[in-house]
Amino acid sequence: MPSAVTEYESHTPSGITKFTNCLLVKGNQLVKEDLWISSINGKILKSQEVFYEQRAVPDRVLDLGGRIVSPGLIDSQLNGAYGVDFSVIPEDGAASYGKGVLRVNKSLIKTGVTSYLPTLTSQKAEVYHKALPFLGPSGAPRDPSAGSESLGAHCEGPFISPTKNGIHDVSVLRTAPHGILDLEECYGAANLVSPSPIKYITLAPELPGALSCIPALKTRDIRVSIGHSEATYEEARAGMAAGAGMITHLFNAMRPLHHRNPGIFGLLGTASTTLGYVKPYFGIIADGIHLHRTTIKIAWNAHPDGFILVTDAMSLVGLPDGTYDWTNGSRIIKKGPLLTLEGTDGKIAGSSISLIECVTNFLNWSGASVPEALKAVTETPARMLGLHGVKGTLDPGADADIVILELQGTEAGEKKLEVEQVWKFGQKVFEKNEKLGL
Amino acid sequence: MRLIIREDPQTASKYIADYIIERIKAFEPSPEKPFVLGLPTGSSPVHVYKFLVQRYKAGDISFRDVVTFNMDEYVGIPRDHPESYHSFMYKHFFSHVDVDPANINILNGNAPDLEAECIAYEEKIKKAGGIELFLGGIGPDGHIAFNEPGSSLKSRTRVKTLAYDTIIANSRFFNNDLTQVPRMALTVGVQTVLDAREVVIIITGAHKALALQKCVEAGVNHMWTLSSLQLHPHPMIVVDEDATLELQVKTVKYFKSIEMVANELGFQQMLPCAAKHAAIVEEIHSPKSPVSPVGKPNGDALMPPKPEVVRAVTPDLVPDRMGSRIPPEATTMLQGIENEDTPFLRMGARVAPLGG
Repeated sequence: MPSAVTEYESHTPSGITKFTNCLLVKGNQLVKEDLWISSINGKILKSQEVFYEQRAVPDRVLDLGGRIVSPGLIDSQLNGAYGVDFSVIPEDGAASYGKGVLRVNKSLIKTGVTSYLPTLTSQKAEVYHKALPFLGPSGAPRDPSAGSESLGAHCEGPFISPTKNGIHDVSVLRTAPHGILDLEECYGAANLVSPSPIKYITLAPELPGALSCIPALKTRDIRVSIGHSEATYEEARAGMAAGAGMITHLFNAMRPLHHRNPGIFGLLGTASTTLGYVKPYFGIIADGIHLHRTTIKIAWNAHPDGFILVTDAMSLVGLPDGTYDWTNGSRIIKKGPLLTLEGTDGKIAGSSISLIECVTNFLNWSGASVPEALKAVTETPARMLGLHGVKGTLDPGADADIVILELQGTEAGEKKLEVEQVWKFGQKVFEKNEKLGL
Repeated sequence: MRLIIREDPQTASKYIADYIIERIKAFEPSPEKPFVLGLPTGSSPVHVYKFLVQRYKAGDISFRDVVTFNMDEYVGIPRDHPESYHSFMYKHFFSHVDVDPANINILNGNAPDLEAECIAYEEKIKKAGGIELFLGGIGPDGHIAFNEPGSSLKSRTRVKTLAYDTIIANSRFFNNDLTQVPRMALTVGVQTVLDAREVVIIITGAHKALALQKCVEAGVNHMWTLSSLQLHPHPMIVVDEDATLELQVKTVKYFKSIEMVANELGFQQMLPCAAKHAAIVEEIHSPKSPVSPVGKPNGDALMPPKPEVVRAVTPDLVPDRMGSRIPPEATTMLQGIENEDTPFLRMGARVAPLGG
């Protein structure tokens, strides 16, 4: 990338990098402003205060030639990648599983995803017991070379509806008649103690005992998302009232909108004047296969501040076409970007798209502006996860996880966002067309 | 006084930016001998900063060895408040150039002892060797820094309460909420500005035309604090055409012609170099000086003086009365209409003598 770097000889290195001649994603705007980040504390700096108070100046200045500076992308639903499936414990044991996770982290960051939620599909209890200790938040050492950072695991199931299972194996699905005790038995009691490796759990609120678990999970700082569910609008509302705050891959694996019972989607339509009611966050898979582009636009228009783009990507991302073994003895057929479950009538089995491609798709399908589209993978997921001000923003004090993007126009008159550089905790970890030895 | 008139605010600002850069370069600043620059905030100087930044980015100038002193700052708003002058300077100038933050001086409006802060500021200026060039703007009422009408022309850095007009004018930056507008400010005094070796003022816009007229054509008056510039040895005012609306046509033409003649003769209206000045003075006072004409007995002294003046002497502007331009015949026709000075009479003289 032809960005001009100016190095300054300074008495004492300040560890500060300044991005200049760039457009910062701030709220729904692109703002022409400089950005100062520190490789010492790994955060975005309040440059004016550093300048006047610390009397510090940047060690180097990067002229980005008008490119877009976005907070690092956050994928709230990633099942695996680069041949690693978070739901599969390899035969040679847990240690090898841990290595696999680290490998994903290092590769994933090159796509601009600086933090994510490793997602487990419905599994037997033993899988959770073994896997979860490796999937908890991994950012504490603040090590840029570790790659993408887990913000905690997303347990998608197994407390979900057997009729909206998608490709989850029905035989491992459960209900929770004993409330939280059943969850402890399934995920492991140690994994449900705060601080838990689990960031959020997708469950179906209409299942026996499910509703009572929601407040119990909230006290342990575990969020609840409604998904893979047969819930009616009323049941979904009850889930929200109990403390659920989001919807897992809206439209997929739930009842469609019916004009006499809007189902889970109806939560987006509730009048904002309803007392004490908050509209949920919701995930959207914009891979061009899971949802029609118009459907996506309807959801965005209904509640833009809750709109989160997720990949729901599988371990097969980046692998050649073919048939691959999957969990619980089932197999997945990969044909281009399309993943289907073998032996079904083309049941969609997750996606194999990158998050920035989802943003590009959404950009072209919705007419949203670039900052609006990027918000769906930065600020909004950070808010959903209670990490606003830390992740998903360029405000001073936030972690200096940054993606530098180039907005290109394609021949078809569409837009395309291209990841040029990725920075983690204030240090450059990826540059397009350049090996950084990660 | 040099009055430079340009077509619009852009070209006026460009002139000043180029002038400042020339001055800094001619000064050849170094870490031991930095160039000390006084700086303002405000809407007119914004363009000056823009051009300075442009030329810095083009590699024409470095501010590494420039020490800056700002004119003023509000009292009681946080330093990072978007309306603070710290923020203004950072946003428009400091963040874009290579000025060393350790060389920047701005009054601290949150100092525990404001009076001490002001005294210390004057001392800092002194310690830095005085200000080489003070750039300034003015308000529509002719105030320079926060030295509003009625400020002492001998004033020094101090705490000032803001005029009610200024508070109202500033409320637009504070959500139109008068209660949020700072009531006080710290500001350098008029004399602090006049102590600078050179003062350069930018005035643009029709709304400042009256102030310019008062400061250039009228006398020194504390109600138009900028008029004190008339007492400065090297003042320069750079204005756009709009700002000259209240000036006499004659004044405008006069100053334009001065600049034109100066350009024709090939010298800019640059301040004479301080080092040269010092050298000449020393030479004059040195008794061994060979050029000293004192006690030179040879015939040269009897020859007529050679015309060695390179630079035309700048004539002073003598504003005349309109009446003096009218030919005498016309004057007689106007006899009785013209407002003659009324002679002073005792009141008693108008009273008819008592009695008879």
